[in-house]
Amino acid sequence: MKRIITILLLGVTGYFVADAVFSIPFGVDKLNIAKEYLLNSPEELKVANTVTAVVVNFRGFDTLGEVTVLFLAATGLGSILFRRRKYHTGLNPQREAPQASRIVQVGGKLLFPLILLLGAYVFIHGHLTPGGGFQGGVIIATGYLLLLVSFRKFAVKHSSLTWVEAVAGVTFAGIGLTGLVFGKDFLENFLPTGVLNSLLSGGIVGIIYVAVGFKVASELTGILDTMLSIKVEVDEENEEN
Amino acid sequence: METILEILGVIFISIGAAFLLLGSIGILRMPDVYSRLQAGTKASTLGTLGMLLGIGFFEPAWFLKIFIIMIFVILSNPISSHSIARGSCRSGIKPKLKETVNAYRDAMESCEESIKKDDK
Repeated sequence: MKRIITILLLGVTGYFVADAVFSIPFGVDKLNIAKEYLLNSPEELKVANTVTAVVVNFRGFDTLGEVTVLFLAATGLGSILFRRRKYHTGLNPQREAPQASRIVQVGGKLLFPLILLLGAYVFIHGHLTPGGGFQGGVIIATGYLLLLVSFRKFAVKHSSLTWVEAVAGVTFAGIGLTGLVFGKDFLENFLPTGVLNSLLSGGIVGIIYVAVGFKVASELTGILDTMLSIKVEVDEENEEN
Repeated sequence: METILEILGVIFISIGAAFLLLGSIGILRMPDVYSRLQAGTKASTLGTLGMLLGIGFFEPAWFLKIFIIMIFVILSNPISSHSIARGSCRSGIKPKLKETVNAYRDAMESCEESIKKDDK
């Protein structure tokens, strides 16, 4: 009986899928919206990277929602994991783990600025090259992860992270609201668009991606620090290390 | 002038590709973690550097960026393999080669000493 139902259901699904596939005429370009994006983003917005134009400009409201989801995830994770910590000191709570070797420490110190530079490059050039605020922010967070793993005494300040995050988020929403002042829609471009393929092009896209980069970097750094600082058992004797 | 640069680029890219090939063969053929790491790290570092240098000769305008990438590879590749080797030593993986090889035995002893020192 079960098999007959399964076969019937499969047959019904297959019929409708086949129907939908055969009803599209062969060889006809159906991608009207995509064509619109491809034509508009270099010409009107002067954004070389069409993906960025779609993500930040045409669907900027959606990206604002995504950033909010990320913020909620970071906050939720922090509030769940924070209870596991019996105490919070200025030290990196991962100090129970063995100290990383001196080679790793020196290398981490040397690599950290390079990683920051790469992350900043990725999110500043988000409207010109592949990449953008989210990717650049993640790269910066990996730099902080390197320091957190290398040094037992390294700890990030959650208060300053929260400030960076808040300022970045307010910048994102504030740019959208400023557009309303100039008589445009929410998150519509109101700045001069500049020349295609130059760094100062694309109007608000670049500014928004810088803000997104800072926001993602601070949120992910906070998440990493919180996750590294989970302590299941507290050993009172080893506290002075 | 351009042809000389292109010839140099081809030479360096071939050197890099050869070293990458040897490194991957080494990773497949070597018996244990440490010798695999050695094959992987040394060969892949040199191979990547050769490739990058070759690309730099092909496109001289990119040379500064490629130089920065090369510095990054030179710094990060040996450090990461060092920490992998240290981690595997600390978790008690023994090399499969003969105990009579003096250099290996000394290295394992110094590793164990460093573990003891860290545990204090």
